[in-house]
Amino acid sequence: MRQSIFVAVLFLFVGLSGCTNYLNVNDNPATPQIVSSQVLLPPMFAQMVRGEIFDSRFAGSYIQNWASTTAGNVWDRHGYLVSRDEGADKWRSHYFGNGKNLFLIIDEATASNRPAYAGIAKAIWAWSLQSTTDWHGDMIVKQTFDFPRYSFDFDGQEVAYAEAVTYANLALADLAKDDPLSPVTIARADLVYAGDRAKWSRFANGVLARNANHISNKASYKPDDVIAFVDKAMASNADNFLAPHAGTNTDDANFFGPLRNNLGGFRPTIFAMNLVNGTTLGAPDPRQGLLFNASSDGTFRGIASTQGDPNAAGSATFIPTFWGGNTIALSGTGRGMFRDNAPFPIMTYGEMQFIKAEAAFRKGDRALALTAYRNGINASFDLLNSLELDVAKRITAAQRTTYLASKAVAQTAADLTLSNIMLQKYIAMYGHGMLETWVDLRRFQYSADTYTGFTIPTSLFPDNSGKPVQRVRPRFNSEYMWNASSLAKIGADKLDYHTVPMWFAQP
Amino acid sequence: MKQLLQKFLLPVYLCLSVTLGMAQNRELRGKITSSEDNRPVPGASIVVLGTARGTTADAEGNYRLQANVGQTLRVSFIGNKSRDVVVGNAEVIDIVLQADDNQLNEVVVTALGVKEKTRSLAYATQVVDGKVIAETQRDNFLNALNGRVAGASITPTSGNPGASTSITLRGISSIGGNNQPLFVVDGLPIDNRTFSQGALVSDSPNRNNDYQNRGADINPNDIETLTILKGPEATALYGIDAASGAIVITTKKGTSGRGKISYDNAFRFDEVYRYPAFQRTFGPGDNGTFTVPTRLYFGPRYPADVPLFDNVQNFFRTGYTNRHNLGLEGGNDRSTFRLSVGYTNQQGVVPTTDYKRLSVRLSGTSKINNKLEVSSSFNFLNTNNTKVAKGAGSTLLALLSWPQTDDARNYTNNDGTRRRLNPNSDAQDIDNPFFDAYKNRNSDQNNRVLGNVTLTYDPTTWLKVQTILGADVYSTAGNLLFHPQSNRGISTRGSLENFTELNQLFNGQLLVTGKKQIGKIGTSLLLGTSFDDRRYSVDAIRGEQFYEVDFNGINNTPPTTQRAKNTLNLVRRQAVFGQFQASYESMLYLTVTGRNDWSSTLPIANRSFFYPSVGTSFVLTELPGLQGGKVVSFAKLRASYAEVGKDAPVPYITKANLGPQFTTGGGLALGVTGGNPDLVPERTTSYEIGTDIRFLNGRLSLDAAYFNRRAENQISAPRLSYGTGFILQYLNSGTIESRGFELLLTGNPVRRKDFNWDVSVNFTRNNSTVLSLPADQPEFYIAETWMFTNVRNSLFLNRPATTFGGNDYVRNTKGDILINPANGFPVKNPNFTEIGDRNPLFTMGLTNTFRYKNFTLSGLLDIRRGGDVFNANELFLYTTGLSTRTLDRETPRVVQGVLRDGLENTARPTTNTIQITPVTRNDFYNLAYVESDFIERNINWLRLRDVTLRYVFPASVLGTNKLVRGASVFFTGTDLFLITNYTGADPSVNGLNPSVGGSGAAGFDYGTIATPRGYALGLQIQL
Repeated sequence: MRQSIFVAVLFLFVGLSGCTNYLNVNDNPATPQIVSSQVLLPPMFAQMVRGEIFDSRFAGSYIQNWASTTAGNVWDRHGYLVSRDEGADKWRSHYFGNGKNLFLIIDEATASNRPAYAGIAKAIWAWSLQSTTDWHGDMIVKQTFDFPRYSFDFDGQEVAYAEAVTYANLALADLAKDDPLSPVTIARADLVYAGDRAKWSRFANGVLARNANHISNKASYKPDDVIAFVDKAMASNADNFLAPHAGTNTDDANFFGPLRNNLGGFRPTIFAMNLVNGTTLGAPDPRQGLLFNASSDGTFRGIASTQGDPNAAGSATFIPTFWGGNTIALSGTGRGMFRDNAPFPIMTYGEMQFIKAEAAFRKGDRALALTAYRNGINASFDLLNSLELDVAKRITAAQRTTYLASKAVAQTAADLTLSNIMLQKYIAMYGHGMLETWVDLRRFQYSADTYTGFTIPTSLFPDNSGKPVQRVRPRFNSEYMWNASSLAKIGADKLDYHTVPMWFAQP
Repeated sequence: MKQLLQKFLLPVYLCLSVTLGMAQNRELRGKITSSEDNRPVPGASIVVLGTARGTTADAEGNYRLQANVGQTLRVSFIGNKSRDVVVGNAEVIDIVLQADDNQLNEVVVTALGVKEKTRSLAYATQVVDGKVIAETQRDNFLNALNGRVAGASITPTSGNPGASTSITLRGISSIGGNNQPLFVVDGLPIDNRTFSQGALVSDSPNRNNDYQNRGADINPNDIETLTILKGPEATALYGIDAASGAIVITTKKGTSGRGKISYDNAFRFDEVYRYPAFQRTFGPGDNGTFTVPTRLYFGPRYPADVPLFDNVQNFFRTGYTNRHNLGLEGGNDRSTFRLSVGYTNQQGVVPTTDYKRLSVRLSGTSKINNKLEVSSSFNFLNTNNTKVAKGAGSTLLALLSWPQTDDARNYTNNDGTRRRLNPNSDAQDIDNPFFDAYKNRNSDQNNRVLGNVTLTYDPTTWLKVQTILGADVYSTAGNLLFHPQSNRGISTRGSLENFTELNQLFNGQLLVTGKKQIGKIGTSLLLGTSFDDRRYSVDAIRGEQFYEVDFNGINNTPPTTQRAKNTLNLVRRQAVFGQFQASYESMLYLTVTGRNDWSSTLPIANRSFFYPSVGTSFVLTELPGLQGGKVVSFAKLRASYAEVGKDAPVPYITKANLGPQFTTGGGLALGVTGGNPDLVPERTTSYEIGTDIRFLNGRLSLDAAYFNRRAENQISAPRLSYGTGFILQYLNSGTIESRGFELLLTGNPVRRKDFNWDVSVNFTRNNSTVLSLPADQPEFYIAETWMFTNVRNSLFLNRPATTFGGNDYVRNTKGDILINPANGFPVKNPNFTEIGDRNPLFTMGLTNTFRYKNFTLSGLLDIRRGGDVFNANELFLYTTGLSTRTLDRETPRVVQGVLRDGLENTARPTTNTIQITPVTRNDFYNLAYVESDFIERNINWLRLRDVTLRYVFPASVLGTNKLVRGASVFFTGTDLFLITNYTGADPSVNGLNPSVGGSGAAGFDYGTIATPRGYALGLQIQL
């Protein structure tokens, strides 16, 4: 009796400890933990947009695309929000939103012999490196994603620039490869180019064009290289990198649309309004009605940066929101590029043409510059027309012809100035290319000679010590909280770190 | 009651005695009960004098034995006077034992449902009688423990119906994980989860809603006793989940003999009587002038003739609760059963809120044969809870900031739409709380079944085999709706989220116990194995853009807006364990345990882990010469050491998880938390020393304990640089040491026939130190607690685990506040530094029970000294111009400090002379404060938690037919008063809910309704 009980118990114990299959339930049954590239790719576009568009609110203030309706806004004053993450969604997207997901794609696509996916992921990473360093300056490059490291050293911007070139070239190499396996899935997974490898190659070359153009102040600047990259980049608006928004609910709607409700506190600046109302360029621009909305008295108005909006709600001078109406309720689904379901342009043919115009101008080839400049303006008209759903509001061929012939547009190679090019680029990039426009403004030291009518606010953020903003601090709740010792090594703990000029802008 | 039973039993006993000598050699059976409380005496020994025959009473006090007529049975049990009974004709001999005060005989239900003698325990335990819990008339029994248990820290989330309650025993040991104890009912763990909004499509951080902690489902009236096992020393056999202690509940069982019917009810009224103070002098506006309707009160003074509405008072109503409990029990010597039905319907002080609970519990015990007994219980629970949102923009805050010139009760226009104050500005037009309560929806319904079956096999006198199998299955259906016209629903044109939570916990254990007495040395060996199988799933669905504005249903939303999310967690664990006990006489006890766990949540290579414990108890009063002392009747020293391993807090973290993306095109992407394939089990090591001394035959007793606990290698997910590729990353790191001292003093100063006075005092002093933080960071914070301005639950190295992190002033080397020369405002340090500690200096509970004739009065005073509270309500009022601190806004002032002009650290810093008159510069109230100004320090309180006056009807009143065997009426007051130096409404609040890990958000007073006071009347009868 006694023995048999002990034997039974003993068996039970042995049986239990040997029962390993019973415990093998540590793989998530609700969501796969190992997935294919076509599953990982679709959200990458929204993450690209997220970093870019969240931070564009503040870039829009820096470059005076718009200003806050509240006086003394810190971003209007070239400052930042202390101890906050605002202004560092580029950082979030680069390391997290896109980040490791791109490398999951690269690894999976490489293992499954699908170079198209790998090339796309590398092209996005190259773009992300480029645009993130242009926003934040010094960043983590070499130690990115080292496990189990928890302190990460910062690398200078030149390292990020070199890394962007490396990845763009790796992308081009992958995209050039034959890929019989990807087409089955990629047309659906690739929300932007539907798996068109040629278009992705143009996008990668667009990254290289930006990369080569941004160092225009340096001796190493080679305008011929820039032009060569542009010529391999977007060849028409059909090649534009437009990240789509379904716009059905807050999750998939445009951040700048009324559903997401992020632009209600902004109004166009007088500087921006003057560029299209004839004040600065001498002739009214038909794009005014596509970008902006008139008050109920029929007049288009802007506000002075840092001074808030003096026009009382309900008055005839009240400036409508970018969505068209005075409030959300009166704005429907928004309009133009500020529609709930409008795509967000990440990189366009128009931008490429202005890059080419600048490079050709700097090279001395004014004829080439003029052609590219006028191509850029036309591309801008086409893009805005395509984003405007109301056919009646679109720019007519006649309006376009009138404008192109007006004194607002340089007519001859001899008349063309850098200011012409940069101001037209500014208008063309309005409302979406704020990060690139800010790169331009910094390359030109916020020059009012180039950017006619642009003034740096007099009431700068206190910690600026009178200097304009040059970079955005790395993400607070990533770096300032948890990687502070590395930040101190590059001086990013200083209160005026955001006024330290960028490597790219320096000679 | 007792007397009645005694009266009933005495004749039975006399009957038995009279009939002796009339039969021969028969099988006897019966039940041994105690005269003290009529409860069974398990383990009582029954021997036939002059023979070798003998047995012990089982868990229900029943025994079975062969004896001849005329032989004498000797019944004995430690702590009781032995009794001899001569066997007569009757087959059933029930025996009542009288207590012997010189002995100590309490039996405590410890880990695994094992009953141990108190004297053998090597650790502190505290037992709370179920009657005491029920008598408080509280719906969540954890709230009834508040102030009663040394070492327990209990924080209700709010005073609303169905509010969750957080309990931690002996402070904090997990940096970011769960610190709630294990809940055990009748030997098996049950689930005490508080729903976490992370499983929702909206993935909210638990700030704006609360969910019942599921342990509170248990009907307080079903609790027989509740034992609190405070630390790993006591719970080493429970393993993983009990590293933070355990609440062990034993439910009421039926008793044999005459059937009983009991019924009690209670009718309670609750009222809120504590609100944050606010000014009623200055009206809406900016810088002293009136502006369009705004929620900022920096405008001109209200004209004298303008009527002001008290929107706060007008909002709350008197809460009303009615509760009914019906119990039926009966049985014979072989089988007993008990059926209880409890119903509670609580309407809260906030309009629309309520909580309803129906509990049906059936338990039974039956002896299949002499060696095999089966007992089983089955509990069905149904709860319905209607709630309102909490936190930012919710009830209390919105009431406070609602214009006093406007009657908030008019919350709709004539056409039924929301009446807006500022139709031109969505941002400023936050919801009217009436609209929020009546038009937004927030509710959940839970159905739960708790069942278990216990089989006990006693093949021989020295061996016992027991197996328990249990199931805890529940499902919750939740609904959260923001009306299309409400401020929170306006941009989404209405949003709705439904979720279905399904929890299945199956567990079981097998225990084999052997006992052997070798001379004066008693030994026992327990071997056991257990399994624990949990399946938890949440299906959430969300839709927006309602078709019909007032319809609550997912089909009322366009399919394009509908989003679903599934969470499915499987956790399986197995364990083998053993306990060896040796005792020398009744003097020295030694207990050694060991347990090995296997958990599915850890990497395969690391998923098996072993941990031991050892404890000893030495009863000094058994030493020769000290026995039978008149003054010191009992004294014991105890010491124990234990280790407990702990697996990962959630499954699937050995590699990164992906999450569904709701952005255009969908797909999957990595979640915010990085996995770790190298995780190892956490380890908590703990020791405890203590003493238990009783004086004057137990009239006065003292129990003291000191513990020291260290939790190392904690599995937590700190925030790190995004350079990791994630926002958080699971790591093994971080060490918290907690230590504390507990004292329990009970006395019976007066014991007379007509007057009795019992008093009990418990005292707790805990503290903790963070010895290392994850990833060698200087700070670790609980993200959800960062709910208003820059204050959060932050942990700093070498500091307690209960600190506030927040913004403070920047000071010069002399300690002067630095002033910005540009505006005369103080310079704020944007970094999070330690600005307070929520841990109290000590807490005390004082219970007095007086009985005079048929009246009983008992009351519990809850005393706390020290500990800081973040008065976020006041900061909210301050920044909106509603705080009474802003009343002196017309007085010019100069902020004391020195200018930050480069001279601040020289011998002659520039004293600030910049004068500010806030009435024309209300940015003073937004820029010139630091958060640490709103940490209220050293908050003390004295609360009357529960007070009950009961009158028991004397037998003479009940009539002679004995139909009604007992009846009483009572009045119970809950939280009748609070005396505190806290300037806000109530310092005992939780800004979040218990689903938040670490030291949680206790001490964050933000938008939470103060605990209402309640008055209950009721009656209790027994048939």
